Amino acid sequence: MGIWQQAIISGFSLGSFYVLLAMGFSLIFGVTHAFNLAHGELIVLAGYLAYALWHFWHIPFYWTLPVCILLLPVATLGLHWLLRRLPAPFELNSLVVTFGLAIMLQNLFLAFFSADFRLIMLPAAPVLDFPDLSIMVTANQALLVSLSLAATGLVHLFLHRTFLGKALRATIQNREGAALAGIRVGQMQLIAFGVGGTLIGLAGPLFASNMYLYPAGGMEATLIAIIITITAGVGRTRSLLLGGWLLGLAESLAVLLIGTSWRELISAGILLAILLWRPEGISSRKTGIT
Amino acid sequence: MTGEVCGAQGDNGLHKRALLRGWSQAGWRRYIWVLLVCSFLGSGPAWGAAIRLGAINPLTGNLALHGIEIHQGIVAAVEEANARGGLQGHPVELLSRDDQSRPDVALNQTQDLLYREKVVGLLGGYVDSLVGPISTMAARHGTPYVAAASLQQSLTEQGNPFFFRVSCMSGVVKPLGRFILERLKPAKVAILYTATPGSTEFATRLKEMLAEQGIAIPLFEKFRPGTPDFSVLLLKAREQGDDLLISGGFFPDNLLLARQLREQRTPLKAFIAPWGVAYEKFIRELRQGSEGLMGLCAWNPGITYPGTETASQAFVKRFQERFGQAPNTTTMHGYTAARALLAAIEQVLGKKEPLSGPAISRELRSLDLLLPMGRLRFDEKGDPLDYRQVIVQIQQGKLQVVYPPERATGELWYPLNAASPQ
Repeated sequence: MGIWQQAIISGFSLGSFYVLLAMGFSLIFGVTHAFNLAHGELIVLAGYLAYALWHFWHIPFYWTLPVCILLLPVATLGLHWLLRRLPAPFELNSLVVTFGLAIMLQNLFLAFFSADFRLIMLPAAPVLDFPDLSIMVTANQALLVSLSLAATGLVHLFLHRTFLGKALRATIQNREGAALAGIRVGQMQLIAFGVGGTLIGLAGPLFASNMYLYPAGGMEATLIAIIITITAGVGRTRSLLLGGWLLGLAESLAVLLIGTSWRELISAGILLAILLWRPEGISSRKTGIT
Repeated sequence: MTGEVCGAQGDNGLHKRALLRGWSQAGWRRYIWVLLVCSFLGSGPAWGAAIRLGAINPLTGNLALHGIEIHQGIVAAVEEANARGGLQGHPVELLSRDDQSRPDVALNQTQDLLYREKVVGLLGGYVDSLVGPISTMAARHGTPYVAAASLQQSLTEQGNPFFFRVSCMSGVVKPLGRFILERLKPAKVAILYTATPGSTEFATRLKEMLAEQGIAIPLFEKFRPGTPDFSVLLLKAREQGDDLLISGGFFPDNLLLARQLREQRTPLKAFIAPWGVAYEKFIRELRQGSEGLMGLCAWNPGITYPGTETASQAFVKRFQERFGQAPNTTTMHGYTAARALLAAIEQVLGKKEPLSGPAISRELRSLDLLLPMGRLRFDEKGDPLDYRQVIVQIQQGKLQVVYPPERATGELWYPLNAASPQ
């Protein structure tokens, strides 16, 4: 019984990690339609920032989170400044520009941090340990689940309970309609990049403490973000959490039951099934955004 | 008018034909001789002309860490040769290319070096999925290629006379298998390996070797390099009561595995990974979490082949001055590959022969060098005859050789949890 419970905990933790990687991408893409291929590189940038603070200046890991959350919006707002100067077609041009930016950032990482793999080591002691039930939750797992819940909850409250959030949702649903209703779409895009930057700032240090940093590591994070966003549907925060957990659980249970070589196949199968069954996202309704 | 023009053309044509007839008697013979002499002279470099070598390594992408290390080893060997005055008076020019950790880019770069840059030999390469395409292309062009890090058996069994490598699978599997059987004597072993040709072959051969001796392998699983979570695999190893975990993963996979092993307090007696553990960088990143973990290496600044201590120390000193960091086992593979190719080219030049692919390959096959990584001789297939890695364990932040006994520098900590501060 213990192994099943433990595998489910691992699945939730992995899914939470995926959610944190995807949230910023989903919000920015939903509001601005900018397909940010440098998303993963921005996460890695935040990760390197956290690593530098932790490794070179010996700042405790938990203090690196607020620093990155405050600083990363500067980078994403810079990206917004760059993208708003692009001529039409915006979607295609944003793809090309962010791809170029991703390559540029990778080379900068290579120059400043070398090709070495780096990671942030958190304390190994388990947070919750029930030896009788053979259940143990590590510090990393607890942090991932609690932060993904907190981030999802806050973004959901922001989008559903504030005027600004509702304006953002309206922009995600129908930009032209939102503009006709008097919403300044340009400002909404600025806010989306700012909030997206905050979420990327949160994801970066966690990426460094759960995976490892290396210059080309952002590609993987971008891919995860795209998959989760497609699974959940654009701009749907609760669905994002649901989609991330579904993928995490499916991967963990696939490893437990049929072996690790099936992991990617199961993920791809789920993605295809959702695209066929619910092309608008996992918890989509006929109309409206949840 | 038209006729005159035609006539004039006709005269001109007759004159040309007469000229060609004249050539066909004495001139043609002279011309052919000149061509033959020129082609003979052209096959070897003119006096003092640079000898161009190509190096293809993953300098960016997910294999960049080890690709850059191999590249630095090659650069060190070439600079060393040039500092000695070159090869028989010829300076060596190294043309380095980045394959971006991708086989298709490796092929393009190989074509560029062979057909446009006209290099006389190729060096480098990390992992068989990158080395394989380079070796095929080099063979087609008849240019010798000395790979720095390649293991897959099939690469040398294809009868490619231009392919050589300084590492081989038996140099990894045999010492590891003997160490497990003689020293660790486990009942159950878990083997995880990556979906790459070298790692798959390593895992399969080790499994066969251990199974022949009656050791159970309840967990034998393949994973994709870059997998973010090993916790369920570690749970399976715990449930099955495995004594050892052997990982065929690379540096980053082993970083993650070792960290999750520590976080989950998996009760294993030992963790061994042939690739990625025996590095100062691994210890730097994992800190205390690396204590007691075991890996394999062919060389390290403190671990050198007996009788090569002075050469090894001199290399470390030069390397540190040049690159500002200590070399490691991967660097030494790059250095060794370059030393082999340079020595073979020097032999060809010494015999005043044209610098052709077959001549360089012949000299590579007859090489017998004593280098810091060990004695270097190639067999008929291009595999190194004397390549053997040693088993190292991280003890108090240092790499200690624990097997074979004649090269041991420390006592084995076993089992893991009793020995290390974990």
